[in-house]
Amino acid sequence: MSHDNIQDHIKVYRNIFLALLTFTVLTVAISYVHFDLVWVGILVGLLIAGIKGYLVAANFMHLNNEKKMIYWILILTASFLVLLFFMPTLWDNNIAHSETTVLFDDPGGREYLEKSSH
Amino acid sequence: MQIPYNEKLRPDTGLYNAKLGIWLFLASEIMLFGGLFSAYVLLRSSNADFMMHQHYLNVPLATLNTIILITSSVTMVMAWVSLKLNDLKKYKLYMLLTLLCSVGFLIVKFFEYSAKFEHHLYPSTDNFLGTYFTLTGLHGLHIIGGMVVMIYLVGPGVKMWETNKERFTNRVEVIGLYWHFVDLVWIFLFPALYLL
Repeated sequence: MSHDNIQDHIKVYRNIFLALLTFTVLTVAISYVHFDLVWVGILVGLLIAGIKGYLVAANFMHLNNEKKMIYWILILTASFLVLLFFMPTLWDNNIAHSETTVLFDDPGGREYLEKSSH
Repeated sequence: MQIPYNEKLRPDTGLYNAKLGIWLFLASEIMLFGGLFSAYVLLRSSNADFMMHQHYLNVPLATLNTIILITSSVTMVMAWVSLKLNDLKKYKLYMLLTLLCSVGFLIVKFFEYSAKFEHHLYPSTDNFLGTYFTLTGLHGLHIIGGMVVMIYLVGPGVKMWETNKERFTNRVEVIGLYWHFVDLVWIFLFPALYLL
C-alpha cells in the first residue's frame, strides 16, 4: 500500500465508523416501533445487523479485496452453517413436541408442552 | 528451523501462513457461535414464552457496549494502519485505546451480570437466560482472549518491530481480524438477545 492509498483507507474507516454508529442508533430506535406482524420486526432487525456485519467484514476485515483461498474457506463454512441451522428440520418428528426442547426448568416451556399434548 | 512464509506470500495461496491460519480458526469460530445461534432459534421457535424474561435485559447498557466495541474495531484497524505508516508511537496509542475499550466492555458486562444475579436471574432460571448467559459468556471469554494477545503485542511482543517489521505488522493484522470477528458476533448477539 502506498502512502496516499493508506490515507484513503483512513477516510473509509472513518466513514464506516459513522455508518456503524448510525445503524446502531437505528436498530435500537426500530426496536421501540410496534410492528403488527412480529416477524417483520425481526426481519428488519436482522437486516440492519446484516448490513452492519457486512460493513465490518468488507472493510475492517478487508473481505472486499481478499485472496480466492479465503473466499473458498468462507463459502465452505457458510454452507455448513446453513446445514447446521436447518438440521432440526431434517427430522420428521415435530421438534416443538419433543421433550428435549425443555433443557432447564422452563415454566413457559412446560406449559406449552402440556397444552400441545392435549 | 525457520518457519516459511511469515512475511513473504506463499505463491499458491497468495497469503502469508498466519493469515490463512487465522481465517481457518475464524471458520471454526463461525461454526461454534453458529451452533449456539441455531440453538437459540430452535428454542425460540418452539416456545411462545421463550422471550418472557427479555425485559430484564438492560438495552441502554448493551447499546453502550455496542458503541464501545465498534470504536475498538476502529482503533484496532488504526493500530495496524499506523504500523503500515511506520509510526510505532501511534500504533501503541491505538492499541492501548483498543485495550481500554475492551476493559470498558467487560466493566459494563460485570454490572449487567451483577444486576441479573441481584434479581435472582441465573442461567438455570429458564431457557432464555440460559441462552443469554451462554452466548454473552462465551463472547466475553473471547474478549478476554483478545486482550491477552493485545497486552502481549503492546508489551513484550513489540520488540519484534526492531528485528522484523513486516512480521510484526502481520501479527497485528491477525489479531485485528480476530477482534473484528468478535465485534461482528456482538453485532448479531445484540439484537437477537436484547432487541428483537
